[in-house]
Amino acid sequence: MGTKRSWEGQTVVNMSASESTNPTLAIFGNFRDELDEHHDRRERIIKASRDITALSKKIIFALQRVRAIKQPIPQNIIKENDARVEQIYKHFASVTADLVGIKSWRYQRQISGGIQEFIEAISFDHYLRTETLITHAEVVERLPGILVTEEDYLMGIFDLTGEMMRFAVTALSSGKVTPTDAAKAGVLVDLRAIRARCEALSVSGRHRASMYKDLAKKKEVMQNSVEKVERAAYGILVRGSERPSGWTPDLSGPAMEVETH
Amino acid sequence: MIDQRIFEDLQAKIDEETTVRDELHEIVQTLARKGRSTQAILSRAHSTPADQLEQPVKPVLDDAAVEILAQKHEVLRLKAVADQHPFYKYNGLWTRELQNLVTSIELCAWLGGLQEYKSSDSGSFLTIEEVGKFLEVPVNLKEQDAFHLTIEEYLLALISVVEELSRLAVNSVTLGDYERPLQIGNFIKDLFAGFQLLNLKNDILRKRSDGIKYSVKKVEDVVYDLSLRGLVPKGSAAA
Repeated sequence: MGTKRSWEGQTVVNMSASESTNPTLAIFGNFRDELDEHHDRRERIIKASRDITALSKKIIFALQRVRAIKQPIPQNIIKENDARVEQIYKHFASVTADLVGIKSWRYQRQISGGIQEFIEAISFDHYLRTETLITHAEVVERLPGILVTEEDYLMGIFDLTGEMMRFAVTALSSGKVTPTDAAKAGVLVDLRAIRARCEALSVSGRHRASMYKDLAKKKEVMQNSVEKVERAAYGILVRGSERPSGWTPDLSGPAMEVETH
Repeated sequence: MIDQRIFEDLQAKIDEETTVRDELHEIVQTLARKGRSTQAILSRAHSTPADQLEQPVKPVLDDAAVEILAQKHEVLRLKAVADQHPFYKYNGLWTRELQNLVTSIELCAWLGGLQEYKSSDSGSFLTIEEVGKFLEVPVNLKEQDAFHLTIEEYLLALISVVEELSRLAVNSVTLGDYERPLQIGNFIKDLFAGFQLLNLKNDILRKRSDGIKYSVKKVEDVVYDLSLRGLVPKGSAAA
């Protein structure tokens, strides 16, 4: 038989024997197991979060094909999105055991990205159907066993305004909504209301360490979004008859997206 | 239509959290202030010969122990408040100060203080369980959501101990003590071997523990200088 060798041909030292004789090594061997468990769990959660983010983005893309608010969403879009939501729930289910009790806050940062993107998707869906904002309580209900913080909710709503912006601009440029109607009711009015409410939120400097630190950046992006719709409405009103058919306003501009983590 | 109650509820939640953070912050500030006095006292070890540290009246170590006990009192105050909230939600507020305190405790114990809290069969440092017992706080809680000392915090504190002792090795020689660098060398090599067992990811623990080898080298250089000149005491640990 001979001695056990590694693939490099070196003799494998029996670690457990030396660990048990040296108290320090025994202690650290124990720490190693604990830390390995922690890192494995952390990676599982990050992976699930990424998959949830990717699926949520696809839901949002599909929803951008919807053309009218406060009306039933076309069957084909519902069908493809239902399948995605089902997959998302599977990803959440795969990590609920890793996010139970004390672990919910421990790994909050790791799952938060997925949760925020999912909130963006379901709040957009909810908005298109009902022209109202989904509430935090309603989001919590959709995610049993998962910690949904107020920060996650607020960041999801900020991202929602970007989607509302795209939706409103498309509606304006397709001629389905006239600029004067847009100013009276609908997406632009709602966007302005969200903007005003978010600007009124006051967060003390004590929250610097938490996710609220992204607040200023997110706020700026949201303000830009509202202005883009306003500019689009103006442009179509003033130069409406001059534009070629199929023209869409320029959506490119500074700070369209903020990295979420 | 946007329901404005949504944002009123959010504001209420944010304000509630601000109150909690303020309350915790005040305690952590006190803990930090007392921690600075502890560290100031312990730094006198660099200019105090070992035989004076170990006299029946141990001015440095006894003074340090008094400050450490005062800090322990603040930790218990912190625990009482923190236990009312999810542990990892606010852990970042105090983790640094708790690490510093554990470093002070370990240093004081290594220098010969706090003997009554050390179990006889453990090595020259307090285990995480012993630190927890001394501070009267739980350690490494995995299920129960309550205040505790985490493994990461404990390990980061040990790394600071290694750094501090490597400095002490140099200063001991200046004080004419050729024995202590050898003890320090053996001790930190033991810990170094321990840290090498860990599979570290790209995190703070990895970054900090990468520095241990430089501390080890620093002490080994001192020991080398001493042995080259025949200054290593006979019958000492490394001879």
